[in-house]
Amino acid sequence: MGRVLLVLAVLLALAGCGGKSSPSQRTPLTIVVDGPFSRSPYLGRTIENGARLAAREVNANGIRLGSKTYELRVRTLDTALSPARAVANMRRAVEQEAIAVVDEGTGIDASWRIAAKPGIPIGVVFEGGRQIVDPEARPNVFRIAPTDHGLAFRLAEYLIPKGLKVGLLHDDSDYGVAGGQALASAFERNRSSVAIEQTLPADALDLAPQVLRARRAHATGLVVWGRASTIASVLTAARSAGWDVPVFTPPAGADPFVRQQLADHPQWVDGLTFAGGRLTAEIGTGPFLTFEQKYESSFGVDRVGVKTSGGQAVIVPPETAMYAYDFVNLVAAALLKAGSTDPAKVTAALNEVTTEGANGDQRGFNHNNHEGVVDDDIYFARFHDMTYTPVKDDPLSATLPAVPQTR
Amino acid sequence: MTRLAAAAVAVPALVLSGAASAAPNADFVSLPSPLAQLSSSPPLAGGASANAEGLRHRVAARTNVVVSLGPDGAPLRVVATQRLDVRVKGDYFFPIGAPVSAVEAVPGSASPPGRRSTSILWAGFNPSRRTLVARAALRPGAVAPSLPLRVTPGPGVVALENTTGVTTSAFTADVLVAPLARYFAQLKRAIALGEVPTSGGALVTSKPVTTRIRVAAPLHVEGTIGARRVDLVLEGRRTIAGSGPVRLTVTPADPARLLDRPVAGLSGRRLLDRVARASLTLSRVRQYRTFLGNPDPTGPSSTTYVYRTAARPVAAAPAAGESSGRGWPLTLAIVLALLGALALSAFAWSRA
Repeated sequence: MGRVLLVLAVLLALAGCGGKSSPSQRTPLTIVVDGPFSRSPYLGRTIENGARLAAREVNANGIRLGSKTYELRVRTLDTALSPARAVANMRRAVEQEAIAVVDEGTGIDASWRIAAKPGIPIGVVFEGGRQIVDPEARPNVFRIAPTDHGLAFRLAEYLIPKGLKVGLLHDDSDYGVAGGQALASAFERNRSSVAIEQTLPADALDLAPQVLRARRAHATGLVVWGRASTIASVLTAARSAGWDVPVFTPPAGADPFVRQQLADHPQWVDGLTFAGGRLTAEIGTGPFLTFEQKYESSFGVDRVGVKTSGGQAVIVPPETAMYAYDFVNLVAAALLKAGSTDPAKVTAALNEVTTEGANGDQRGFNHNNHEGVVDDDIYFARFHDMTYTPVKDDPLSATLPAVPQTR
Repeated sequence: MTRLAAAAVAVPALVLSGAASAAPNADFVSLPSPLAQLSSSPPLAGGASANAEGLRHRVAARTNVVVSLGPDGAPLRVVATQRLDVRVKGDYFFPIGAPVSAVEAVPGSASPPGRRSTSILWAGFNPSRRTLVARAALRPGAVAPSLPLRVTPGPGVVALENTTGVTTSAFTADVLVAPLARYFAQLKRAIALGEVPTSGGALVTSKPVTTRIRVAAPLHVEGTIGARRVDLVLEGRRTIAGSGPVRLTVTPADPARLLDRPVAGLSGRRLLDRVARASLTLSRVRQYRTFLGNPDPTGPSSTTYVYRTAARPVAAAPAAGESSGRGWPLTLAIVLALLGALALSAFAWSRA
């Protein structure tokens, strides 16, 4: 009996030696996704999915640091678009000893300090406000998303040479106000290109009076910065009045809600031009489509809920998911660079690493710049038949291929 | 195959067979390359790289390095300003290796540079032509060994030493003069036109023997030491009589001594030695013209080094909280005074 036990003990010991570490033997590292799951489910879910997809890929081999192998585990917390809840969530992330937080951006002006104490890096993947990121004052805050500043200046750079007299309209949501400030700054030196500036009520269903006012100010183009509902309302007011003014927007113009609202009048969406972060690199659509394929096979297709004139269902390319995916991959690279799971060391290492992003672009931060999407990466796309393609009258956009958006 | 294509193939074949017929017993041996990297630095920190997604940007790089010298001639501060003239439309991602402690954009730069501990980072989209200009403070201790000149002030003199020298391998052998002379002429033409030189070979008629040679980039040194004007080409060490502030501009120069002297009448072995030295010296010059790397390996690069005497940086004032500003003698006096007052009070109370 004693010999049998001895043999069993040796076999058990041998079984534990060598080979790859199984997931059960790995030490988990928590990545918290802080998003608006209840108030803006699509946004919250797409951020979560991007983070989960990256974590899954990282976990295929695990993260080997010294004699230990780690794996990433994603936990979600709902901000409900409330800054107070965002702050509470950040406290929970600290309690859970998160290695990083992927954040939509709500409440970040207050919550970053809570994460800064233990040095936890925060990756903002949606909000573009200028004050959010400051490598000096907020060394633990990073962003992979187009900035309001970059979007506004690219819009100005694109529109002013066209000789348009633009109406700068923004709604009174936080997003709209921040965008209004960015637009004012971008057009500051070219006031002659501005016909009128107006603040729109974000909750108004009818914006006909404000749109009429812009028309009477002889605006020959409208830049509308606000929630998707505001953009849809401006388009409705202008087109129903027979005013075929060109409309330009930030990325919110590509929000499925705009097309859903105007599904009965698809021609009203035609010509809508938005500025956004490029989805593809110059090498082509390959890297992004590969990412999209992985995303779809894991989480399914995100449908807009409208169809083209040919009857094909329109889908949403996983843009925001791509940013979350890239941030988690950068965190994994920073863990290896730091050789440590100390969040402060990971934050420091995030300034030193570059990875290939889901769209094939180089993605990374540095000590001077915590923006993962540089202003040069902002392109313009125009809608036709409920899908969009990069414009041809902008040097960057003209180099970009269209991303398929139908299934 | 068309006649034109057939002719295109036939010409190199004739050249090869011609060479072979001229030297039936000669072997082809590669010459030291004028593009060889003879030491790990410069360019600093591995040089520059480019990730441009399938396209290649044309980049001309111009760098100005200002070396502030302490009283003993040691570099106290090194600031490099690099201007990249980028052409060809498309995305760019250029890490420029350097031990950077701070970096900023210079007015006129199309975008701000990023900083990593070992590189300056440029990322963006070039619509057709872009100028990127960064001013970077470099860690003096890390870059000092890669600077081309050492300045050592002494009593009434200042020693200038070319520190670009390096010992490297070459070979000696008997060679056919004519083909080697042709390659040398081609090398000189490329240098005169500012083109990237190509590597060459020699037809050897004896067994090549490895040799070790020392090569250095000639430095054109111009400026002033105190009131004394300096204008010389420095290949080794020179002591200049004079004292006072140093302000010297140093530019790596082509090795005129090796390139311009006539080769007619030289034996094959002597010509080989000359060509090998010229080629290796050119590669050394090229290294020092690329103090900060150029993301376009075949793009033109130039570097000017400015050495100037500077006051030693003032040490940072201690933080207010670290010291009360009161010395220990004063503290001791206060404590003694307090103890004295306490004793007097106790005495007065006991008498009350």
